[in-house]
Amino acid sequence: MSRNEENDKTVRTDGVDASAVPQAEADRGTDRGTGRGPAIRRRSFMQGAGATAAGLAMPTVIRGLKTARAAEGKVKIGHIEDLSGNLAVYGVQKFHAAQLAVKEINEGKTLKGGPVGSGGIGVMANYAAKAPVMGDGDKDLKFVNKGGDMTGTGMAFVQDEDVLIDSGESGLLGREVELIAPDGQSNNNIWQQLTRRLIQEDKVDCLVAGFTSAEREAIRPIVDKAKQLYIYTNQYEGGVADSNTFCTGAICEQQVIPVVDYMVKTFGPRIYTIAADYNFGQLTAAWTKAFAPLVGGEIIQEEFVPLSVSDFTTSIARIQAAKPDWVFTLLVGSNQSNYYPQASAAGLEYPMASTVNMAQGYEHRRFKPPSLNRMYNCINYMEEIPTARNQAFVKRWYEMFPDDPYIGQMAQNTYFSIHLYAKAARLAGTTDQESVKKALESGFSIEAPEGAVFLEPSTHHCSHYIRLATADAEHNVSFVREWPSIQPWWLQRIGVNLVKHKEYKQYIPDEDPFFSMFGKKK
Amino acid sequence: METQSLVLSLLYQLGTSAAFFFLAAVGLIIILGMMNIINLAHGELMMMGAYTATIATHAGVPFALTVPLAFLVVAAFGAVLERLIVRRFYGRQLGALVVTWGISLVMGQGTLLFFGPFMPSIKIPGGSFSYGDFSFSEYWLVLIAISVALIALLWWLYNRTTYGLQARAAMQDATMAKSLGVRTGRVYTLTFSLGAGLAGLSGALIAPTATIAPFMGQQFVAPAFITVVVGGAANVIAGAVGSATLLAAVKTPVGMAFGAFYGTVALLFAALVIIRIMPDGISARLQRWFDRRSRSGLL
Repeated sequence: MSRNEENDKTVRTDGVDASAVPQAEADRGTDRGTGRGPAIRRRSFMQGAGATAAGLAMPTVIRGLKTARAAEGKVKIGHIEDLSGNLAVYGVQKFHAAQLAVKEINEGKTLKGGPVGSGGIGVMANYAAKAPVMGDGDKDLKFVNKGGDMTGTGMAFVQDEDVLIDSGESGLLGREVELIAPDGQSNNNIWQQLTRRLIQEDKVDCLVAGFTSAEREAIRPIVDKAKQLYIYTNQYEGGVADSNTFCTGAICEQQVIPVVDYMVKTFGPRIYTIAADYNFGQLTAAWTKAFAPLVGGEIIQEEFVPLSVSDFTTSIARIQAAKPDWVFTLLVGSNQSNYYPQASAAGLEYPMASTVNMAQGYEHRRFKPPSLNRMYNCINYMEEIPTARNQAFVKRWYEMFPDDPYIGQMAQNTYFSIHLYAKAARLAGTTDQESVKKALESGFSIEAPEGAVFLEPSTHHCSHYIRLATADAEHNVSFVREWPSIQPWWLQRIGVNLVKHKEYKQYIPDEDPFFSMFGKKK
Repeated sequence: METQSLVLSLLYQLGTSAAFFFLAAVGLIIILGMMNIINLAHGELMMMGAYTATIATHAGVPFALTVPLAFLVVAAFGAVLERLIVRRFYGRQLGALVVTWGISLVMGQGTLLFFGPFMPSIKIPGGSFSYGDFSFSEYWLVLIAISVALIALLWWLYNRTTYGLQARAAMQDATMAKSLGVRTGRVYTLTFSLGAGLAGLSGALIAPTATIAPFMGQQFVAPAFITVVVGGAANVIAGAVGSATLLAAVKTPVGMAFGAFYGTVALLFAALVIIRIMPDGISARLQRWFDRRSRSGLL
């Protein structure tokens, strides 16, 4: 079948509502893979996608022409991560994820998915959410790998096993994709220099960067000044409402609330929070403090630890003096990872919850058991997720990087985010940054290794497939519960709509009057 | 019982904290305190010791044997380093600072390229025991004991052996020592190598409690320099012991009452105040006190 025919089908001009597209057609492999989904209503997108279709019809000729033009050449994806320093343990994974995604794009591959409209995943009735799978506490840990039983309403429930499909072209819009990835060296000043360099000298088409919130906030003003399309792929504390920034990691409402709810019900209400002392730790702790009372929990003490601290003797004694039911650990960086073996050696045996551990720093692989025994974390990705699509992804990864120790949450986010960028650029038909931003705001769904992810247009955040992961005394990971789609709802709640009103700020929980209301004691 | 266990816990915290400061500083005591070389590669020497111990442990060597092994490996590396690079910078303190910083970058990045971003850690030897509300790690108690033994050993080495005498002479006045027949070049190599070896040894000892990563050494650099500088140069060993104890005594109670953040603030503030009122460090003050007492015939 010629590409022409296929593209004609893909680019609808009749403005059919996405929800009305028959399942069979929506599911057709390359259709959604090329990033031109079943329904695109905006005229500009139709034109853009039409141009792509024309381009794809004669790929070789077009490519020849394009390289002759000065403005064209390679599509440049700028990528800054910490390949050295305190945060290298995370940065190297993200760098490899970016390399893998770029390689796949250049080899003509893409992930399934496409624009589904602003309603989100449910509109397609393709990957419908189901009620959380209830386990009986620790006694009934079980793997839930297919998403549960079929519901009575005829909604689809099985995940596609194979999500990597042909994109219909090599590279992106007939151009090769190039990754420009300097080392941020775990130093915020260097991050700012590199961001300026990538924007001003390299003129990257898309910037994918940022591990800590401090790094993100260091470079965001530079990004906004240049109106640079920027994708931040880490899980974080939430609240960034920025017209140029797309946050593809999980945030507090997706991670903190489910895990605190589970921990309070399973282990008891008394919570001790020990957190890294910077914006991520402080704000995530604020979320915990605000929402704990809703589920009957209570923060008995909070402690914020500077990133340079690596000796936790005193903190451990403080926890023992406070006698909590469980400990909420929000520790970041390799210095602070020392907490786990030290606490374990000191005989501290409280259950722990986190939003970062295991899924990012793979502490369960790095430290000898039982340091991470009874650690709980609501994650959007871990290497151990037993679905077929994830196993295929893990296999592809280790074929390219056989010596890598682990594939973490933020590495998977970087991987699908770069594929998502390629899809949006194909939809826009150009790498012009304003057009790609608009394309990304069209309500994109992408089949990531974790499951279906939906980029919510009004807040630039993603819905995620959240799983509650836990490690046992031998550091085996199991998934206790899962939530196939949790929305990033907080920014919507406080009225952010980036499609209509441009904004460039980060909201903090104090700006939401409900937080102080939640925080009050009864 | 409750008060008793709290007091015991505070003492234990004080001991571990002081041992941590001392172990972080022990290599630097020799290299900075005696040879007056601002060795910014100190952390990477500790990292090298930790890596040696970790690799050897994973290869099946008992942990207790990997510690002296780490000492030997890093001491040998230190000797090579001194012969090839560091000896060209004696008397040029800022030159030595830049060159050791360069060495630290090469070592850190080289380890990252060679071994990857981290290495699985060693299990902390020994278990824990509890008393009242608190529980204690046996391994840290062993570390406190080892610190005390190291202090005694260093004191003996520098005050009771020929090498110690020659080393002190060479550091005080190299020309005079040379004219009296001391082979100062060899003494320098030995001393630098000993300092490096001790850094490797303490790196190996701390390895089970830490994340084994290429840049793990950086966490020890600040505590090490603070300990040595606060201790002063008049008597480096006594100074380091005094400052490690004093800094731990400030950090522990404040940290216990107000949390790790204020503990760190109190520690840095204490270091600032001590350097301000005792610019030559604690050891100079101790030295004067001893001198007065010996003059008045009390000692």
